[in-house]
Amino acid sequence: MADANEHLDKIMQELRRGTITIGALSQLSEPQYGYSLVTMLHEKGIHVEPGTLYPLLRRLEKQGLLDSTWDTNESRPRKYYVLSKTGKEVFDLLVVEWKNIAASMDQVIENKRGDENGDD
Amino acid sequence: MEMINRYIYAVTQKLPQSQREDIAIELRGLIEDMLEERSGQGNRRENDVEEILLELGSPRSLADKYRGKKKYIIGPELFDTYILVVKIVLIVISSLIGIVFIIQTILEPMSILDHFIDMIVSAVTELPQAFGWTTFWFAIGELYGGMKQKDLIGKEWKPADLPPIPDEKRQIKRSESIIGIIFYTIIIVFLAFSNEFFGIWVFQDEFNGVVPFLNEQTYGSYLLFIVLIFGSGIIKECLKLVAGEWTYRLAAYTTIVNVVSMAAVLFMISGPDFWNPEFMNQLAEAGVVTAGSETFNTVTMIWNQSTFWILILFIVGLVWDAVDGFIKSRKK
Repeated sequence: MADANEHLDKIMQELRRGTITIGALSQLSEPQYGYSLVTMLHEKGIHVEPGTLYPLLRRLEKQGLLDSTWDTNESRPRKYYVLSKTGKEVFDLLVVEWKNIAASMDQVIENKRGDENGDD
Repeated sequence: MEMINRYIYAVTQKLPQSQREDIAIELRGLIEDMLEERSGQGNRRENDVEEILLELGSPRSLADKYRGKKKYIIGPELFDTYILVVKIVLIVISSLIGIVFIIQTILEPMSILDHFIDMIVSAVTELPQAFGWTTFWFAIGELYGGMKQKDLIGKEWKPADLPPIPDEKRQIKRSESIIGIIFYTIIIVFLAFSNEFFGIWVFQDEFNGVVPFLNEQTYGSYLLFIVLIFGSGIIKECLKLVAGEWTYRLAAYTTIVNVVSMAAVLFMISGPDFWNPEFMNQLAEAGVVTAGSETFNTVTMIWNQSTFWILILFIVGLVWDAVDGFIKSRKK
């Protein structure tokens, strides 16, 4: 079983890598700073480490999917990220793609179950 | 707090100057947010800081994530070529060191131990140097060649570009080319640095000196041609190594290279001062032949005609090499 868990960990890591991007974009119609985003996602059951999310936000900003502003009014300066115009378009397209993937995967997995039940 | 400062410094140190300040502020804010969440508004414990830093991971891995790509001295794209070149360079230099040892031992058999020590010293100093320089040039290539592949080829890959599986008859053995490169390099080094040993070696009980074939006075100006001739040989072997099999294109290239070296040979050998003008006299002086004897006359004749025959041999060799290339390319 320990062996299976090890495999699972590796595969889940790969699987999460892509979904985190979608997760982050989904929460950024309103400006958020890094840690508030971590908490928000956490509450919704998406666990992402700050050490992964912070560099990701920067990368998305560099790619032009996010805009950022520094807020220096609070007790400590915070960088707020929000979807750019391109970011919005990309996110909408991603959602469609994701739904397709999810639907296909569901079908594939359900079929498999059906087969197994059939064998019984 | 000290530990947080150290952590932030360690991370930003590994990032480009332009992003350091920004990331430092953001990272500090993050750590403070995380601290706040852990301890509520209560007292901070040193332990919390440690746990948070552990959660963020080692500064190197975090910096890697910010950079988004791994750093290489020599990346996977160049690595195979790099290993091949390193092998060739090391083999060539080892054989050179070995040959120097053998020549020195023939010349002075009594001090074989000194020569042996020389050989070991050369091996220990020169091999790492060669390795270092090769690596250095590849690292430069990696540094400035970030584009490589796509930019070099300059177009999208198509399945139609796939080269056919090399026919066994047309295939060029790697070992063949590598031996060729080693051979040419040894000749160049030998002729460049110890041309005085290129001649008839006179042994009478012990080594008595060499009657050189070449004219030592004019030799320096001909060296360029010698490097050109054998250097083009090296280029030819490299082309074969890269191509991996005979094609018309490769055969055409080797023909061009052969023509260039043929022209150089022609120019050099037919020059008046190329050969040692005193060769026959020196040979007689050294006691190999007696002046005026029948042997002396025969050797003189051979010596005088040698230019012509060497030329013929060279031309036949180079023409054959070119023709052979075309024949091999034609094989189906």
